[in-house]
Amino acid sequence: MTRPAIYVEGAALEISFADGRRNLQELIFDTVRAAVDDSGQPMHEIDSVVLAAHDLVDGRSLSSMVTSPAAGAYLRDEIRYGDDGAGALAAAVTRLEAGHARRSIVAAWGRSSEHSPDQFSRSLFEPFRSRPLGLDEFVLSAMRAQLCLSAGDGAGPARERASLRRIDSARANPRALRGGGFRSAPHFPLDDADLPLWADVTAAVVLSTEPSPIRVAGVGQSSEPYNFGDRDLRTITSLKTAAGRAAADAGFGADTADVAEVDGLTLIDEALGLEAIGFAAPGTGLRTLAGDGRANPSGGGASGYSPPSMGLVRVVESVLQLRGTAGSVQQRSVRRAVATGGSVVAGQTQTVVLLEAV
Amino acid sequence: MTELVSIPGHWDFDYTYFAGEAASRFFAELRNTRVMGATCPDCRRVLVPARSFCDACFQRTTDWVEVGPEGTLETFTIITAAFPGLPEPPIVMAYVTLDGADTALVNLVLGLDLSDIGAAAAGLQRQPRVRVQYGPEPQGRITDFAFVLA
Repeated sequence: MTRPAIYVEGAALEISFADGRRNLQELIFDTVRAAVDDSGQPMHEIDSVVLAAHDLVDGRSLSSMVTSPAAGAYLRDEIRYGDDGAGALAAAVTRLEAGHARRSIVAAWGRSSEHSPDQFSRSLFEPFRSRPLGLDEFVLSAMRAQLCLSAGDGAGPARERASLRRIDSARANPRALRGGGFRSAPHFPLDDADLPLWADVTAAVVLSTEPSPIRVAGVGQSSEPYNFGDRDLRTITSLKTAAGRAAADAGFGADTADVAEVDGLTLIDEALGLEAIGFAAPGTGLRTLAGDGRANPSGGGASGYSPPSMGLVRVVESVLQLRGTAGSVQQRSVRRAVATGGSVVAGQTQTVVLLEAV
Repeated sequence: MTELVSIPGHWDFDYTYFAGEAASRFFAELRNTRVMGATCPDCRRVLVPARSFCDACFQRTTDWVEVGPEGTLETFTIITAAFPGLPEPPIVMAYVTLDGADTALVNLVLGLDLSDIGAAAAGLQRQPRVRVQYGPEPQGRITDFAFVLA
């Protein structure tokens, strides 16, 4: 049986901070409404909704009961994916391919101004061997960075240039946070510029089985052990495996993409992500970020960050690049793009999405 | 024999919830002893509490209107377990559709004789008319008012 092709009909994202004029549901509504308007479809043509949301981020137990109507779920088939937004997109793709629905909203959000990302981060760890030590996500990213930098992958000028370029890209990106936001305290060897800018982030796309100019060419997912001591933190094996699966699905790999939008908690996570998907050669991720405008043209985590929305943000940025509507961060002649999204706990689960202009 | 390990756990998270403009206006109107609804331009329902969008039509709401102060008790429950911040049980909680509204609003029903729960329930099962009654100093919170029999 032939799977139907899946297309992106509409896309929207918003990055703000502590906008007291809107509650969480209103932030979600504004972005989903914008994505639906962008798709040109009336609501009655949409029959499915897949959400990426997390109760502890939202501060609402079983959060999607409160928030799903704001994402268009009223009397529609709705499920929540309790992980990154790119994973939610992968779930929506499989539902469309299976014939379960014809058209689906995918929405993801995280509002850093309402909660403490550091408290959230510490709660992610298992209670016996990790949490009593006060581990947080940045501890693992710092250890990953130490492996990378001690191997000489980007120590010195490349890291500095990558950091500066990321900040410049965020300044140029019309969708990046303008004012507000905050950063956590950095752990050695990370510094402020390596860290994400915590923000309020909402993203949404409308996927369809009916042809439109942007096709979801391939999707791949993979997950690593929870125990980070069992993992090769530098290689990000799950991301590498997910990229291979997406390439097999699409018939082309991330190495042929004209733009890569890679999710990573820190600058170094982004660099290693580029290597894992094959967009950058091993050991050159930071140099690629420093000198190749096609690598995270959006500015990555410097433009505003809040899990579990970031994978879907990377997808939306990629869609805009493919359409030629990314604004001042637009790259030339973009026909193929790759977007990734990683879960919490050092990117344990990874999703890779290959997109193509048709 | 190995001693089996268990450790206590307690989660304590800090949040700042933003009500947004629409809910803030709704609460401000409570200080003025007015319950407000918002109208959906598509389905024309008056949604109470007032909100910024209609999730059924996925459209932004438009006109705000005052509803009540009287309405019809739609359904209720009688709570017999204590909860921090609430009056001592038994407590009557009810959904009430205020006059002019198309959706029901939940709050406590005060002033009932609850010495006989069965008798109190029998009276409420007749879906009596109720009205909004405000406390002495409304603070702009949902707890500013309760329902009493009209």
